[in-house]
Order: sequence, then C-alpha cells, then structure tokens
Amino acid sequence: MTGVGAGPVLKVFAALVYAFLLSPVLIVIVISFSADSFIVFPPTGLSLQWYGRLFGHPALMAGLQFSLVIAVIVSVLSLALGVPAAYALAKGNFRGREALANLFLAPILLPTLVLGLALLLFFQPLRLTATIPGLVLGHLCVTLPFVVRMMTTAFATLPDEVEAAAATLGAPPWRVAQRVTLPLAMPGLLAAAALSFLLSFDETVISLFLSGPRASTLPVEMVRYVEGRTDPMIAALSVLLIAGTLVIVIAVEKLVGVTRAIGR
Amino acid sequence: MPSLSIQGLTKRYGATVAVDGLSLDVGAGEAVALLGPSGCGKTTTLRMVAGLIEPGDGSIRLDGVDITRQPAYRRGMGYVFQSYALFPHMSVSANVGFGLDERGVGRAERDQRVSQALDLVRLQGLGHRKPKELSGGQQQRVALARALVIKPAVLLLDESLSNLDSKLRDAMRQEIRDIQRALSITTLFVTHDQIEAFTMCDRIAVMEKGRIAQIGSARDIYDDPVSRFVAQFVGRANVLPLTRTGDGLSLAGAPVSVSSVPTGDVDLFIRPQLVKLLAPSEPASGLDRLTGKVTRVSFVGERVEVVVDTAAGRIIVEPPAGTTPPDEGADIGVGWRPADARAFRREDA
Repeated sequence: MTGVGAGPVLKVFAALVYAFLLSPVLIVIVISFSADSFIVFPPTGLSLQWYGRLFGHPALMAGLQFSLVIAVIVSVLSLALGVPAAYALAKGNFRGREALANLFLAPILLPTLVLGLALLLFFQPLRLTATIPGLVLGHLCVTLPFVVRMMTTAFATLPDEVEAAAATLGAPPWRVAQRVTLPLAMPGLLAAAALSFLLSFDETVISLFLSGPRASTLPVEMVRYVEGRTDPMIAALSVLLIAGTLVIVIAVEKLVGVTRAIGR
Repeated sequence: MPSLSIQGLTKRYGATVAVDGLSLDVGAGEAVALLGPSGCGKTTTLRMVAGLIEPGDGSIRLDGVDITRQPAYRRGMGYVFQSYALFPHMSVSANVGFGLDERGVGRAERDQRVSQALDLVRLQGLGHRKPKELSGGQQQRVALARALVIKPAVLLLDESLSNLDSKLRDAMRQEIRDIQRALSITTLFVTHDQIEAFTMCDRIAVMEKGRIAQIGSARDIYDDPVSRFVAQFVGRANVLPLTRTGDGLSLAGAPVSVSSVPTGDVDLFIRPQLVKLLAPSEPASGLDRLTGKVTRVSFVGERVEVVVDTAAGRIIVEPPAGTTPPDEGADIGVGWRPADARAFRREDA
C-alpha cells in the first residue's frame, strides 16, 4: 500500500469491512459484562457475574483443561514429526519427494466433517474414541500438514552452503541441525508451534466426532452448553478465548520479530 | 602439511558428466588452481574433495589415506565458499570458533586461537560483530579465518574472491597468497579468473569439460598451451586461418612456419605481446611477417593496444611499454618469431 491509490472510497470500504468483521466480537465483549440472565443487546446492566460463574462451571473448566492438555501434546508432536519431515522434503533429494509432499498436504483439502467421520469409523474398533490418544491423532491430521508446509518453506529458504560450511568445520549432521539449521529456522518453528496449538485448541468438528463423556474438549463443551441454554456465560468464555489467542499471536510476533532481528 | 592425490575422479548427473576421470596431485604445501570456464566441473571437483558431493568413481587420498567415502565432517578441510556461508546468527568470534568447538578445544585455547586467526586476517577487535555488520571484504576474511583456525589438512577456496570489487580483490589475492605461503598450507583453489590463478598458485590445472586440459606453471601454460582451448582460455591470442601449400603453410599467401602442425584445417595462434610492429618495408630476418593498416590504437590503462588489419585478418598487437604507438591509418608491418606461434586444429563452426 503506497497510500497514493487509497482514495476516500477505498478507505470507507475498508472501514466497513473491518466493522463487519469485528462487530460480532464487540457485541460479544459487551454481552460478556451483562448483568442479565439472558442474551439481550444492549444489556440492561453491567456486572462481572458471568466471569465468576464461568470459573465455577465444572464441565467447561474440565473442557478447558482437557483442551489445553491436548493442544500442548499436539503442538509438541506436530513439531517432532513435522519438522524432520519438512527438512527431508525441503533439502532431501530422493525419489517420490513431490508425491510425498502432496500426500502430506492432502488432509488440508479434505473437509473436516469427512475427516471426522472417517476417524470415528477408523478409531471405533480400535477403542480410540473419547481418549487422549484418539483426539491427539485426530488433531494431528489437521496440524501436521500446516507444520510440514510452513517448515518446508522455512527450510527451503535456508542457504545449503551455510549447513555445508558447518559440516566442513567438523560438525556431524545432528550438530549441524542443533547449531545451525534449527536456530536459523527458529522464527518458523515458533510460528508453527503457535499455529498447531491454536488449530488444535480451536478444532471443533473432529473433536465433536471423537469426544466422549470423560474426554471432551472445550469447543465441544461449549457446543453442548449453548444447545441447552443461552446465557452470557458463553460470551464471557469467548472473550477469554479471544484474549488468550491474541496474547499468543502477539507473543509470537514479538518473539519472531526479535529472533529475526538478532538472526540476520 | 599433507599432500592430496586425486585419481580418476568422476561424477555424473544423469546423462551429463560433470567430472570425467580427473587425476591431480597437489604436493604438501603447494597451491594449485583449478582454472576453467563455468560448467567445466571445477567446483564439483572441489566439493568432492571436501566431501560435500559424493564421487561416482575414482579416489581421493590425503597423505596416502583413502578419504573418498569419508563424510565431510571427518575430513578436516577448510572450505571457503563463494558466498562466504557465514553463520548469520553467530558473532564473528563464534563463527571462527565453530570448528574448534566441534573439536572439543577448551575455552581458553579456543579464545586464543580465535583471536590469533582474527589477527591473521586483520580483523582484530571485530569479534563481537554479526556477519551482516561487516563489509564484503571483511566477511571474506571471517570465512578465511574460520577455515584456517582449524589448521586444515587442505585449504579449499571456491571462487572466493569473485564477490569482491576489483581493488579489494587485488589486495585479498596478495593477502591469501602470503598467508598460504607463510603457513605453507596445501591449497586447492577454484577460479575462472586467470589473474587469480596466476598470482595465487604454484601450478595451474586448466579444466575443460570435466577433464584437465593442461597442468603446469603459469608460464608453461601461457607460453606453451597444449590445445586450442587452453590457448584461447588463458590469456589472449590472435587466431589466423592457415592454408596448406604444397610443402608448408601460408597466411594469406605469405609463407609461415610453425612447429608441430596437427592434421586437418589449422589456425595460427600468436600472443599480442609477441607480435612486433615493423616498418612496412623493413626487412625482418628470422620473423614471419604480414603487412597491413593500423585501424585503431587504444590505451587500455597501463598498456597500449594496436589493431592491425592484414590480408590474413585482424591482428591485435601489444607493443612493449615505452614504444611510441603508430598513427591510426598508417601502413605497417607485423612480424613474429616462428617459435612463438602455435598451430591448432580449426574448430567446427
């Protein structure tokens, strides 16, 4: 954007689009501070009561905890599996590399509804539904393609000669990875970790298929909650989730910015 | 310092042969240049010596020990990349100390050797900087210090000066040559720049299509090229078509003599410095000569270039410094000693 071409019409249009995108969030924020027992806009009075009652709600709190556990495991596994795969795809030179790269990206193209149903049918006989391993595996189908894709790009932009230089200086391959490749790929790693965390935390459709009574993630608990009631508690929860997401995104932006600054 | 011996080294990429049965010995402490045009396989050869590319065939020996299949990190060779390939996330000191860390050198000794290496390349006091805060020439020195500090078995330089501007390149040429001599490091040096090869190395291997076309001292190669390719790639040469007469050769009707004439159609090669300018009718005993007209006289920095059009073609003459150049348009004679001329088979156009 140079500003030269951005005339008043475009500015108004941009403002309208932003208003359209952000107004639901604003309404949710206002409702979350409502003193009413039902969702009414504008609220007749303001209070923090729904935040207080939220923290006392056992199912939602259990869902939150469960979702956090799943998201952490999924992020760790996504990086552990996705980073080496991405490295091989970016730097390797072997038969079927193209095909493998496409295979890794295939789940992105599948609707999660189809994926969720397929996983349910596949996991049922294995007794993996409503278990942590089951949900983790389900979420990995969503996060891994993204991690592989992001890291393949990150590794592909690293100059080969820098790694070759480390090798000529006496570093065996794992030391090259530890001292050169991974530090240089750190911005990408942080971004990939944050993205897999958020994707897993946010994943609803697959979780709906794979959750059960004692293993149910926060989005699933939220769906169940609003099926039964419509009160501002869910708005309060949404505000907290938005805030949490924002913190992660800003933190990554800062960290990646800082890493870039000290990097190159 | 160990010696390096390459035997029958070959590398194919699909149908193309990058390096074709190359053999080369580099003596202990000797500096050898691989000189050739791009795509002649010189960098591939260097990378195979470093262990960065796996050879298809042949062997590489270091002091008689076969290292052909040894991974790069065990070879202990110092490699200076054309791009420098410094670690952007590390300080200059950390870059230089990298190889020492990998060798488990203790902190005190490491710091001392790093600072010695930085002294050697005249970068003292810049150890805390990041590579991107240095100029191209300084980055080049860091790369050199990083390769030297590990006391490499062989120093491998890959077009190491080609990213520098010409003034800096002159200075670095001298500097690297001095260091190489002072430490008497066995060095293999890849370049497409003959001045680099001439000034920095004891011997030069001219490469053509994955093979060594000729190996020898700069003088040998310049004065006595073994092939048309070498004669044309190294230095400049006037190329004039020869005609076979009954018992000899002629240039546009004028009989000339050349030693060792190949069969088939041949051209005469003569270096511009070896052509003498003569008065049009001046008798020239012992010289083969032509007459022509001066079409251009140009001052190319420190030397003068005289272009003479003759019946046999255009001849460029570089008269020795101090001679008064002829006027443009003047009739003139050119002559050369038959021993200075070479005949090579004509290439298919």
